[in-house]
Amino acid sequence: MTILKNFAAAVLVGGAALAGATVAQAQDYPTRQITMIVPFAAGGPTDVVARLVGEQMSKTLGQPIIIENVVGAGGTTGATRAARAANDGYTIIMGHMGTHAASQALYPKLAYDPRSDFEPIALINGAAIVVLAKKDFPPKNLKEFVEYVKKNESSVNQAHAGVGAVSYITCGLLNGVIGINPVGVPFQGTGPAMNALVGGQVDYMCDQITNVVGQVKAGTIKAYAIATPERNASLPDVPTTTEAGLPGYQTTAWNALFAPKGTPPALVAKLNAAAAKALDDEKVIARMKDLGNDIPKPEMRTPAALGNLVKDEVDKWKKFLKPVG
Amino acid sequence: MQEILSNLALGFSVAASPVNLGLCLVGALVGTLVGVLPGIGTIATVAMLLPITFGLPPVGALIMLAGIYYGAQYGGSTTSILVNIPGEAGSVVTALDGHAMAKKGRAGPALAIAAIGSFFAGCVATVLIALLGAPLTKLALAFGPAEYFSLMVLGLIFAVVLAKGSVLKAIAMIVLGLLLSMVGSDIETGASRMAFNIPELADGLGFATVAMGLFGFAEIIRNLDAGSATNRDLVQDKVTGLMPTAKDLKESAPAIVRGTALGSILGILPGGGAVIASFAAYTLEKKISKNPRSFGHGNIRGVAGPESANNAAAQTSFIPLLTLGIPPNAVMALMVGAMTIHGIIPGPQVMQKQPELVWGMIASMWLGNLMLLIINLPLVGIWVRLLRVPYRLMFPSIVVFCAIGIYSVNNAPTDVVLAGIFGLLGYWLIKHDFEPAPLLLGMVLGPLMEENLRRAMLIARGDASVYFWRCVQPAGQRLPSGDIAALTFGDYAKGCISPMLLLLSFVLIVIAILPSIRSKRDEVFVEES
Amino acid sequence: MTDATGPSPGKSGLLSFIKSPQDFFGGLALMAIAAFAYWASSDLQGMRGFTFGPGTAPRLFSALLFFLGGGIAITGLLTDGPSLQKYGVRGPFFVSLAILAFAIMIRPLGLVVTAFLSFMIAAMGSDETKWVEAAIVGACLTLFCSLLFPYALGLPLQLWPRFLIQ
Repeated sequence: MTILKNFAAAVLVGGAALAGATVAQAQDYPTRQITMIVPFAAGGPTDVVARLVGEQMSKTLGQPIIIENVVGAGGTTGATRAARAANDGYTIIMGHMGTHAASQALYPKLAYDPRSDFEPIALINGAAIVVLAKKDFPPKNLKEFVEYVKKNESSVNQAHAGVGAVSYITCGLLNGVIGINPVGVPFQGTGPAMNALVGGQVDYMCDQITNVVGQVKAGTIKAYAIATPERNASLPDVPTTTEAGLPGYQTTAWNALFAPKGTPPALVAKLNAAAAKALDDEKVIARMKDLGNDIPKPEMRTPAALGNLVKDEVDKWKKFLKPVG
Repeated sequence: MQEILSNLALGFSVAASPVNLGLCLVGALVGTLVGVLPGIGTIATVAMLLPITFGLPPVGALIMLAGIYYGAQYGGSTTSILVNIPGEAGSVVTALDGHAMAKKGRAGPALAIAAIGSFFAGCVATVLIALLGAPLTKLALAFGPAEYFSLMVLGLIFAVVLAKGSVLKAIAMIVLGLLLSMVGSDIETGASRMAFNIPELADGLGFATVAMGLFGFAEIIRNLDAGSATNRDLVQDKVTGLMPTAKDLKESAPAIVRGTALGSILGILPGGGAVIASFAAYTLEKKISKNPRSFGHGNIRGVAGPESANNAAAQTSFIPLLTLGIPPNAVMALMVGAMTIHGIIPGPQVMQKQPELVWGMIASMWLGNLMLLIINLPLVGIWVRLLRVPYRLMFPSIVVFCAIGIYSVNNAPTDVVLAGIFGLLGYWLIKHDFEPAPLLLGMVLGPLMEENLRRAMLIARGDASVYFWRCVQPAGQRLPSGDIAALTFGDYAKGCISPMLLLLSFVLIVIAILPSIRSKRDEVFVEES
Repeated sequence: MTDATGPSPGKSGLLSFIKSPQDFFGGLALMAIAAFAYWASSDLQGMRGFTFGPGTAPRLFSALLFFLGGGIAITGLLTDGPSLQKYGVRGPFFVSLAILAFAIMIRPLGLVVTAFLSFMIAAMGSDETKWVEAAIVGACLTLFCSLLFPYALGLPLQLWPRFLIQ
């Protein structure tokens, strides 16, 4: 009995010591560099945002944030690695709508669940999605476009930048809302897909605003609508989908920070505060605006809000996207 | 003309400012370093240096990043020539004759001619960008999936010509390369192909992984075989003259010009044209040579042509980026990232709205090439001296450098293990007299060929013959309006690109196979008599 | 690497009717690789309507490689050619071991330890190696790499073992 008591005491003391250590850890945190996994290639929209915000966060946290690009399989390679990483607050990931929502619908055998294998930290940004078509595509506006693709479902070609890419996911939603299933022509990345659209080899495409502003402004392609509630300052002449008559098509390409499951809440709070502060920085705001990005309002920046967003998004994509091999 | 001169004047005034000159030099130096280190890719380095450029003005940032890009092209040939390790697809060909020259003690002339050829190509390509950048963009846009597929078929035929020995074995190696390229996710359906649920294979085998294994590690393992020690010492004693002789220069000059012309055209095509530039140049040199058998055994034209083509293509591949704002490869995509970070939205309007940026970059390319020539020629002596390091110390160092290089590409230890496996495969290939170069080319062109074929078939709804009939279609059917008068020569030519390329492929394969049949027959006759 | 002990030209062995063992066994091995690739891609979908499926091209090229391998093997049977070359054991073993060691150590132990140990393991692959000299050069190389890659090139490589940092 005494042995048992002693053991219990030891466990309690040990536990307290551990708890104390966690508190101390939280106060000192971070004591060394933090690795931010970006599951996409350097220079891409997610990477640019990660570097922008990471730089500001490291100023607040007093330790460098190292960006590690772990590319592959639509970003799920990097997300899998992050889900399995040590939950000590020194590994975080800049996930996005694909890795942390749509992947659930696309890959049934995925090694992680964004809802249960991660601690949400904060939503970072949303980039508006634009419906685009080649320059000489007959429809003049979104209404005509919807009619045209319905009538010519068997002959139109939709471009996308590979399974799991933003252009694949968001155009999948567009096709679902319209109720068509056209031929999707895959390209290795956004650049080649855009080249084919400008060259007129494919008919239409959906992509985030950052990638398309230059071409739309130059008139080499045309933009039918922007899938956000409000118009975007970068393309003020492009109507919203609601204005153009397809209110059911609403989507943004969002990026958000996550930590592996079990990362202590105190550390998540610290990271959240640093991220929120970075989003208030003038330089970050200006750059994000240049990129056509929306910065979330303060109430949308909490871990809880991000957790809810992920749940909603997973359900939404499961409704519209079919699993792939 | 007046306009171009004033544009160039603007460009040089931007590029020649002390800060930009300094950044150009830094970029060229870092690029050379990155190119020389086996495995360390340009993409990884540019990505790492991207945050540093946040603090720079946009022109300076892009000048530096561009410097890294073409600097790495210069540096990459050094490693190929000295230790037979190509860092990227374009250097595979340089390794063939370059390393053979180094083995004969002629590393110096090989390195020097690579630098001189690259410089000449860089100058011509820069002028080409300035004069014809905008009109050439049309060529980039005229290439659709069918055209790229035909081009890749042609590229694979080049790979057959690369081979020193049996045509049958070379074709087998290409097909093996094609098979290896299919490992990973299928582009259209996302299905996992031959990846055996290994996450690191999900995105396919990296070029660096396979190249380091087949060339770097395999070469080391083979050199460690008993009996090869004496051969190596011989190489070290043989080193003669550092600079090319007058005869070398005379021989290389036409090859440099032809390589530059081929590379400049192929570089414009954003869907992988630059990849086959050096292969095309090598094939051309070997085919028009009076002594094709000397290729692969240290013919200086086999270095001069491909190196010039490679560098010319590296320069003209900026055309789609500058005139359309569309990045043709991963490094350019990073530059687009750098532009967007600086608030410049890449697109066709950049040339009008930011002339100082575009023309500053163009002018800096010429200056950067000049700097690289000045840096690289004196370095030749140092590199050649490096060959005198005893091999017992050299090979473990190469192993470590290659391992770090491969690891740094994706931060994945599995990649290093895979490279080791490919090292053993390469060793086995050497023992059975299979050549790794066609295999690598098959691997590089495989995805481009398959994807474009499937794209073309998707768009044509399975009836690929439309791409052939398009060439001879009655003019009236070509425009929806039926306005024949509006048809230009370009409209006719556009439809005929892919049939012409396929025809050329066919002719080339016949030329490639015929002599080998004839020589086999010759051998047979010799034996009988 | 079991076929290292093949027949050499003068030897009248069991397989002496093969005129070019190098080509014959090379061709057979390619056929084996092709068969393996065909099996590995056999579960993939074939033609999808009017276009290739994910499995079409791999199976097509596996079959092609199989026949090419067969062609090479037959050529090896019929035309004279070189015999099999001898395989080294020491070089391949230690170089592979060094690569494997690098892959296992780099994440937990960091660049400094890994680079030095890999260098020394690889050095064991040659009988010319002088140990003191190799250790000195290995140390210098490690120092050079530790400065070059993380600092000069800014690659995210960890220098020291993980347990020392924490």
